[in-house]
Order: sequence, then C-alpha cells, then structure tokens
Amino acid sequence: MTDLILKIEKLHKSFGEKVILNDFNINITRNTSQVIIGGSGTGKSVLLKCILGLIEPDQGIISYNNTPLNRDTRKEINFYDEIGMLFQGAALFDSLTVWENITFAIKSKRKNDLREIALDKIHKVGLDSTVLDLYPSELSGGMQKRVALARAIAKDPQLLFFDEPTTGLDPIMADVINNLINEIIDQVGATAITITHDMESAKKIADKISMLYKGNIIWSGDPGEIECSNNPYVDQFINGRSEGPIKINIKD
Amino acid sequence: MINYIYNIPHAIGSNVLNLFAHIGKISIFFYEIIFCTFTLPLYFKTFFNQIIKIGYNSLPVIGLTAFFTGSVLALQIYVGGSRFNAESIVASIVALGITRELGPVIAGLMLAGRVSASISAEIATMKVTEQLDALTTLSTNPIRYLVVPRVLAAMLTLPILVLIADIIGIMGGFVVATQSLGFIEQSYIKNTFDIIQLNDVISGLIKAAVFGFIVAFMGCYHGYNSTGGAQGVGRSTTKAVVSASILILASNYILTSLVFNS
Ligand SMILES: Nc1ncnc2c1ncn2[C@@H]1O[C@H](COP(=O)(O)OP(=O)(O)OP(=O)(O)O)[C@@H](O)[C@H]1O
Ligand SMILES: [Mg+2]
Repeated sequence: MTDLILKIEKLHKSFGEKVILNDFNINITRNTSQVIIGGSGTGKSVLLKCILGLIEPDQGIISYNNTPLNRDTRKEINFYDEIGMLFQGAALFDSLTVWENITFAIKSKRKNDLREIALDKIHKVGLDSTVLDLYPSELSGGMQKRVALARAIAKDPQLLFFDEPTTGLDPIMADVINNLINEIIDQVGATAITITHDMESAKKIADKISMLYKGNIIWSGDPGEIECSNNPYVDQFINGRSEGPIKINIKD
Repeated sequence: MINYIYNIPHAIGSNVLNLFAHIGKISIFFYEIIFCTFTLPLYFKTFFNQIIKIGYNSLPVIGLTAFFTGSVLALQIYVGGSRFNAESIVASIVALGITRELGPVIAGLMLAGRVSASISAEIATMKVTEQLDALTTLSTNPIRYLVVPRVLAAMLTLPILVLIADIIGIMGGFVVATQSLGFIEQSYIKNTFDIIQLNDVISGLIKAAVFGFIVAFMGCYHGYNSTGGAQGVGRSTTKAVVSASILILASNYILTSLVFNS
C-alpha cells in the first residue's frame, strides 16, 4: 500500500451554471512534489480552496491521512496547523509588519524568538533583514509573494500548497524559490502541491506533473515524460501554441 | 408588457427568499460571535487597539455633536417654554432629553457613520484580497480574530462615550442658557440635578451598549459578506452605515417603549 497523504475522489464544483471541477480525482503520495498545470481559469485555485475548506465543494471526498475532511474533522485533527498555503495574490495582512505576518500562526513564543524565526525564513526566500519591519504595502509585488511564501513555510508544515510561487519573480529569484521548494521536500520530508504556469519551474520541482483541463486531470506523468507525452492538449500547453485542441475564444 | 406582469410575482418571490436568506445568514453570524466570545482565546491586543480606534478617536466628533445638540435644545425649549410662560423648564428638559434620548442616539449615529463604515471597508477589503482565507489557513478563526474584538470594544466604549456626551451636552445647554438666555447659573445647575435620576442616565447607557453592538455587528457583517471587488467594498460600506443607522433608531424606539417608559 502506498502512503497517501491526500486523496481526492469524485470532486464536483460549479458556480451557478459554470462547471469548474467535474469528477476530479487525484492521489498524492507523502513526501512528493505534485505540480498541477492548466490554463488560466480552469479551476486550479478553486481546487486548492476546496482542499483547504475555503470553498465548499458540491460533491466528493477529500481525505487527508485517511480522514475525510469537513469543517468538524479539520478542527479535530488540527488540519490548519499541519499545512501551509501560499495564495496566488500573496494575501498578506496589511495591518501587520512583515515579521508579524510571517510568524502569525506561531503562538506562545517571545517576541525575540519570533523575530529570529522570521529572519531565518526571510533569508530562505532571498530577502534580507531590512524588510522585517516594513508593511506589505511598502514592498514590491515579487517581494510580497516571497514574504507570503515565508509565512507559508514558517511553521515547517507537513503539507504545502503553493499557488504560482514563481509568477512575478525574475528568473534568478524564481530559481531560488525552486531550490527552496526542493529543499523543503528533500530535507524536511514535506509534501507539496504546486500550481504553476512556469514550465521551467515545473520541470525543476516536480516529482509528478498533472494537467487540469475541463474539470479533470487529462494527463499525469514524470517531468521527463512531458515533452513526449503524445497528448495533443499537453503539447499545445507546454509549447504555448494558440492553435490546437484547446480552444481559446477570441473574437476577431 | 406581459413580461412585466410575469416579473412581478418573480420579483416578490425572489425578494422574500432573499430576506429569509439574509435573516438566516445574520443569525448564523450572530451565533458564531456569541460562541467565540464565550470561548477562548480572546485577542486582547486587537481588543485594546479597537478601544482606542472606536472609542478614543471618536471623542472629538461625539463631544462636538453633543455640545451643539445641548445648546440648540436649550434654545428651542426656551422658545417653546415661553409660550406657556414656563421658561424655567429649560434645565430639566435639556437634562432629560440628553441623558435619555439624544445622548445615546446622536452618539450612536455618529459612531455608525464613523465606525461601521471603517469596519466594513476594512473587513471587505480583507475579504477581497483573500486575507480572510489566509487567516483560516493560519489556524485563526476570522470571526474570533476580527469580529469579536470589534463588537466587544464598541459595546464597551459607546456607553463611556455616551456618558461623556451627556455631560458635554448638558454643559452645552448650560452655556447657552446662562450666557444668552439670562438664566442664573446656580439655579440652572440645581434644576438639572433635581430632575435627573440615576435611572435616566443608566437607561441611556444600556441603550448605548445595544447601539454599540449594532454598529460593530453591521460593520462586520456587511464587510464579511461583501462580494465583487472594489465596487463591493463600497457597496458594503454604504449598507453597513444605512442599516446600522436604521437599526439604531428602530431599536431605540423599541427599547424606550418596552423597557424604559416608566
Ligand atoms: N467565488 C467565485 N464565484 C464564482 N466563480 C468563481 C469563483 N471563484 C472562481 N470562480 C470561477 O472559477 C473558475 C476557475 O477559477 P480559478 O481561480 O480556480 O482559476 P485558475 O485555474 O486558478 O486560473 P489562473 O491560472 O488564472 O489563476 C473561473 O472561471 C472563475 O471565474
Ligand atoms: Mg489561480
């Protein structure tokens, strides 16, 4: 039996008439890095929010360590203490400074210890101590994203969700973040689920890549296989062609 | 034309459904606040910050409005009183009017404008930028962290503000009465203290606590349920101020007629 940390079965979610997730299934093995790719608006962020209990799915079972998740069980097993989430838009608290943001979820520690932790994490995401006392509005977009990443990993969680960790970063910084994600998985033994449009990053951090299209996973495989998947959808996506089976509605 | 006729039952039906959905949502929100208030942890730091923001920072506005209200009340009662040759009633009516009605209502309405608006704008913005979601993923219940401290702070500070407004309002009446209406200072003060009873003041303070709850609750509720980006933030702010003001006036009538009418 494989060691599944997350198992999603028959997940359905629609907003009004619009079906976003349709009979979605995925298994995620402990201590692996799962990357999910897919077009803009296919429901990748919605999927993460369903797992996190921020959006109520219409149907389906999401199990974490064999416990089906719902409002009550998330509380019972202290689900949120074991996970970290990087939001697509950073979602930093703008009334708190950078170090207060990073250490927000760490309770019952003295201020100096908290700052110490914040400093450690901020270095990991390629920032330095000068930002610790700034407010999020005083940072650039890419810096906010990295502070949010530092906040997501602050408690050394077992299961991490990254919604586009490298968008808005320059190629060098993106590589720093790729290495960081790899390090967390290799050294801490965590599991990561990453959404990205950045194929370089995907190939670098993924143990497994899955592509979401029309509410379902249409292809899964190793990062090495993606170039020769023989799947026309995947080919079109990774090569970024506007012609192909994925139709884009543009009026001319 | 036919379409319009068909639309009428549809509009009535959907409005009725909306109303029930609203009542349901408000009840759930209310229940969660009560639950979080009586269970730990309580976020003291935010609570104290809110006392400063809601209470202390509202002092100038409420002080000024109370002063002018007291002054104008003295002028008007004098005009009315002189028609019955009963000018001496000014002190008593100013004192009762301010402590029983105008102090709490005016302070409540000012707070609805100032505080409901800012609470709902702040929380709605947090919702739009996914900060509320982020709170949840950081093991923090947004209601406990954001709503409870604001509701408690408003319920605690509005009565204090009203007590101050009572004093300043009565002083406003006193200044006008003695400086421009020719009242003698000692007798005005004596009249004021002769008429006022502890009950008058206390009833005003209890109303104030209720109004404080309404102000913070409406601000939080509309902020929390805001949808649709920056436009939604504006909409929820308007809704918060309007609903808080109406609820303050309505509950004021109900409280007065049911509880404080003796
Ligand atoms: N709260 C909501 N109400 C209504 N529709 C929503 C809501 N959230 C998301 N959607 C819809 O769900 C679809 C998927 O959204 P989602 O944010 O998951 O896309 P995504 O795959 O993350 O795209 P991107 O790569 O651009 O971030 C979109 O079409 C969006 O319009
Ligand atoms: Mg997204």
